[in-house]
Amino acid sequence: MRLPEIERGDGLANRLLIRFISMASRMRLPDAARVAFYHKDFFGKPMGAWTQAAMRGASPWSVTERELMACMVAKWNACAFCVGAHGSIAAKEIKRPAVDEVISDFHAAPISDRLKAAMTFLKVMTLRPNDLKAEHAKAALNAGVSADALTDAIAVGALFSIITRYADALDFALPTTAEFERAADMLLKRGYAS
Amino acid sequence: MKVSIKPDHRALAEALRRRVLEGPGETPPRLRQASAERAADGLATEAPYDDLARQIGEAAHRVTDAQVSSVLAATGSEKATFEIIAAAALGAGLLRWQHAMKALDEVINASA
Repeated sequence: MRLPEIERGDGLANRLLIRFISMASRMRLPDAARVAFYHKDFFGKPMGAWTQAAMRGASPWSVTERELMACMVAKWNACAFCVGAHGSIAAKEIKRPAVDEVISDFHAAPISDRLKAAMTFLKVMTLRPNDLKAEHAKAALNAGVSADALTDAIAVGALFSIITRYADALDFALPTTAEFERAADMLLKRGYAS
Repeated sequence: MKVSIKPDHRALAEALRRRVLEGPGETPPRLRQASAERAADGLATEAPYDDLARQIGEAAHRVTDAQVSSVLAATGSEKATFEIIAAAALGAGLLRWQHAMKALDEVINASA
């Protein structure tokens, strides 16, 4: 269910900001950004800080690889908004057909073996967290994922286990394909910190 | 020159946990903690929070308007309702973070 206060913004400054960004970007500001502005001291600030660090901070993974991980965690959680949003960002670099191949079957997709190994770990983490064992981590390390890289992937997995859940609980409106593409440009330029 | 610093995910996760589950808000921290635990396969908590938190943990795409409305009616505030949703989502995410890091730490410690 949508909460009207998130839709319009809490406080005059946020209402004006939402209107201004929507006007400047010629699209309705996506709900993910509206949530980032809402009750900011409580959630947006600490959530944005970790998300920005995990998605844009220094990492053995490229931005596109991390966006693909986010997209897959969203797929496993059946979150259409996040699949669309993060698939669109990845498509800015590796093009749409390749992103679709990853979404459809990442094992057979044109991505590195180490990214496939990280995604294999993330799939268990997302769907069967209580089954995660050292052997799952060991399999990723043996496939060439460093401990630092696996830690970064785990952070992406944890964050999108959170984001997909509030996106769906709050019934985020699904932008059009063109709007997702415009939002992807915005997220590549401005990042996730609110 | 741009200096890239490796993120301290453990510190960032802990800062998020502390703020959302222990910090000030419109709802009591106890209620947020119970919602987070419930979404992380924990014990049932009080109605109507239990149903929403459980659903967010299990399959958030199946959350219904009625589940959110019930919490909104109980809290009487959208901000408070948002706090419960955020806490439950966080609980499910931190469960995965903790299990995954434990699995990785076991491998690192075994090879040290």
